[in-house]
Amino acid sequence: MGDAVQPLFDAIPSFLGTPVGDLEDLTPGQVALAGYFCDNLGRPAAGQRYLARQLRYVSRPDDILMNTLDLGDANVFPLEPDKHIAAVVSQCKSVLQRGARLVLVGGDTSGAKALVTAAQQIADRDVHEVSATGVNCSSGTSPIVLCVDLEELAGNWLSRPRHLAGLTPVQMIARIEAIRGNVIAAAVFGLAPALDSRGTTETRAALAIVRAVTDRLGKGAN
Amino acid sequence: MSNAQKLQVVTGFAGLPFGPVSECAVGEVGILGVPCEVEKGPRFGAALAPDALRAMAERVGTEFPAPGRDLGNIEPTGDWSGAVGQLVSQMAHLGVVPVVLGGAEDVATAVLGALPELPVVAAMPRIREDLVAREVNTVWLGLNGAQPAEVWGKISQRSMLWRTARQLDEGGIANISKIPERGGLWLDVSVIDLGHAAGVVGLNPGGMKPETLVATVEAMACEWQVIVITGLAPARDTRGLSELAALETLTAAFRHG
Repeated sequence: MGDAVQPLFDAIPSFLGTPVGDLEDLTPGQVALAGYFCDNLGRPAAGQRYLARQLRYVSRPDDILMNTLDLGDANVFPLEPDKHIAAVVSQCKSVLQRGARLVLVGGDTSGAKALVTAAQQIADRDVHEVSATGVNCSSGTSPIVLCVDLEELAGNWLSRPRHLAGLTPVQMIARIEAIRGNVIAAAVFGLAPALDSRGTTETRAALAIVRAVTDRLGKGAN
Repeated sequence: MSNAQKLQVVTGFAGLPFGPVSECAVGEVGILGVPCEVEKGPRFGAALAPDALRAMAERVGTEFPAPGRDLGNIEPTGDWSGAVGQLVSQMAHLGVVPVVLGGAEDVATAVLGALPELPVVAAMPRIREDLVAREVNTVWLGLNGAQPAEVWGKISQRSMLWRTARQLDEGGIANISKIPERGGLWLDVSVIDLGHAAGVVGLNPGGMKPETLVATVEAMACEWQVIVITGLAPARDTRGLSELAALETLTAAFRHG
């Protein structure tokens, strides 16, 4: 192979082009992103487990958010539900115990449930579960886990819509940005992205939403 | 075979069991598919609509808001329109509400022809002469501007109520007092804007938004005696928004009707 022809290797795909790291690399106040590869436990729908992978593929390292880290995917045991939930809760706790904030991306509703459980076990007070599409409860300094269900997007934005009415990505992002309080963790879930060109719109919409969530967590108590 | 597959075998449209008309009680619905294809025009595919609607209802987990039976599909051969008319008459006589999934426009002609005294609410882009000719006034929803002047004259002369797609998008059906208490609903899916739902037989740029259609039908305090859906060409909409719009409109009609 001559000098003129050099193989080009891209970086490892990561959420929003953020650096890839391990638990040991996390520092307090940092925002960690992790994929959740499970879609057969809570509101199961095959394909939701691929969201994290698709979002990493469409991410570009053009405008990296500061102070963020991609931890890879959580270890999962989807065929052993009890072991699975315990493992995911344990891993979420490991992140939160380091003072970092966690965004769990992809999969079904079971990821959000495990994240709430982990946050409750870490916090010494009640943890509020807040939906991005619901009413924002003013919880003062109580920790908040933000749950962003992408199934709430309007059907027009999705490759396989399940209902007509819903929010546009812009509306969902505006609601995420408007959430007040101490958001310590978030789960973004509920989308089975089409793995072909049809899925581009919904995947990019989901990426913009994940970015807004990560940005919101980066602001800490607001 | 998984449980979901077994369920698909034994259940019909939107969770209703398959069964004959004789198993329907008074006030229940009878779902009838009529996979009749359009005979002219550049866009085909209406024959796929009944089964596509069943598939969409199964995919999104729709539970039909009224009890009843799915009667299956009628074979559109021979004198199928006569058979459809006869079946609709039989259902009406038994107090069963026919919900007919077409098919081409001919399906609605056969269905409504069996109930000549019923006022009709027609959601469609263009006025139809056969509806204008009915004894009872028709309510027109979602008309576009491409109507012949003489047809406008006829419906104005008879003081028929009409709203354009734009009027409905902007103001809904508020302050309309002429909605019949009992009537039939003809939903031609072509009433929806092509940009929102491409799976239609007729092209209608500037048509209704799907959400407007659902909200409009849901807001009508009308006791539906028959509902017929036509003009759906599901193969032209790979995302299924057209089927979803028809399905949500249908369930919205029964939530209040």
